[in-house]
Amino acid sequence: MAGGGNMGGGGRSHGKKGKKHKGKRRMGTHIDMTPLVDVAFLLLTFFMLTTTFSLPQVLEINLPPSESRSEVTESSLLLLRVVNDGRIFWNFGTDQPRSIQWKDLRSFLRERAVSNPNMICLVKVDRKAKYSYSVQMIDELNLASITRFSLAPLLDADKKIIGLPPEQEG
Amino acid sequence: MPKIKKKRVNVMIDMTPLVDVAFLLLTFFMLTTKFRPQEDVTVNLPASHAKVKTPESDVMTITFSPDGKIYFGVDSQQLRAQLFGESRKLRPSIPVTLEELPDLAQAAKNANPKMRAIIKGDRDGVYGPAEDVMNALQKANIARFELVTVESRD
Repeated sequence: MAGGGNMGGGGRSHGKKGKKHKGKRRMGTHIDMTPLVDVAFLLLTFFMLTTTFSLPQVLEINLPPSESRSEVTESSLLLLRVVNDGRIFWNFGTDQPRSIQWKDLRSFLRERAVSNPNMICLVKVDRKAKYSYSVQMIDELNLASITRFSLAPLLDADKKIIGLPPEQEG
Repeated sequence: MPKIKKKRVNVMIDMTPLVDVAFLLLTFFMLTTKFRPQEDVTVNLPASHAKVKTPESDVMTITFSPDGKIYFGVDSQQLRAQLFGESRKLRPSIPVTLEELPDLAQAAKNANPKMRAIIKGDRDGVYGPAEDVMNALQKANIARFELVTVESRD
């Protein structure tokens, strides 16, 4: 490539420069690239194996400020209670709570959100329930595009309504 | 018929394109790799379907370990020096008590109004500390926060 130019004349002398180097034979320099390539591939493998393209995701929560009071009719307030063993109970307003499975939750929430766009959710998670349940619940709400929800502590009164003993040990 | 003696050819493969590509990939990976910031506590994150990437600047991270300890950290070293003292500015987060948390969060928010709260919890931990942390943040008038999760498989 580069050797095809004016410098590629082999040992031919031309001009002053040529005279100076008259006796010297042009040597083809061969640099052994092997170690360089070895190192390059080593680094390449290292970076390829250590790179993880996935940053953890975040689940956004926008809670209403604690001072704000919003008036809702009882029929559009969906109460979701998660008890410590992961069971979910739902009810509207003051209805009797009913149990629902996690796998049915998504379609249930979606259906409700469509039928009542003014619906507000109140999520109550037991302090002894697993943290992942609360994340899962908020995730399901997000998937059903229910953005108006709030979190509240699950009180003993709630447990009584569901029919659980007020304070379970362990 | 006389045998034709085959001339031995010295095979020289031109490695240049290979090396070029290797270096190109190397540069790519070197430039895109971002090493995970060091953490005081490691938690198993819960899974969700959220698609928002974790923000990396203007964040305060509140981590709670499965045993209920709470750690508070901010991303800028300057702010860490201001909040935790000069000697602890190199630590990514410090253990705090629940009572200190609202004041710290408020101070961080005042220093940088763009500050967002990120909550990291262990998926096997109990919900109690998370509730306390959220209450503490609400006390500091932070109603918007983010829960760190990993992408759900299903």
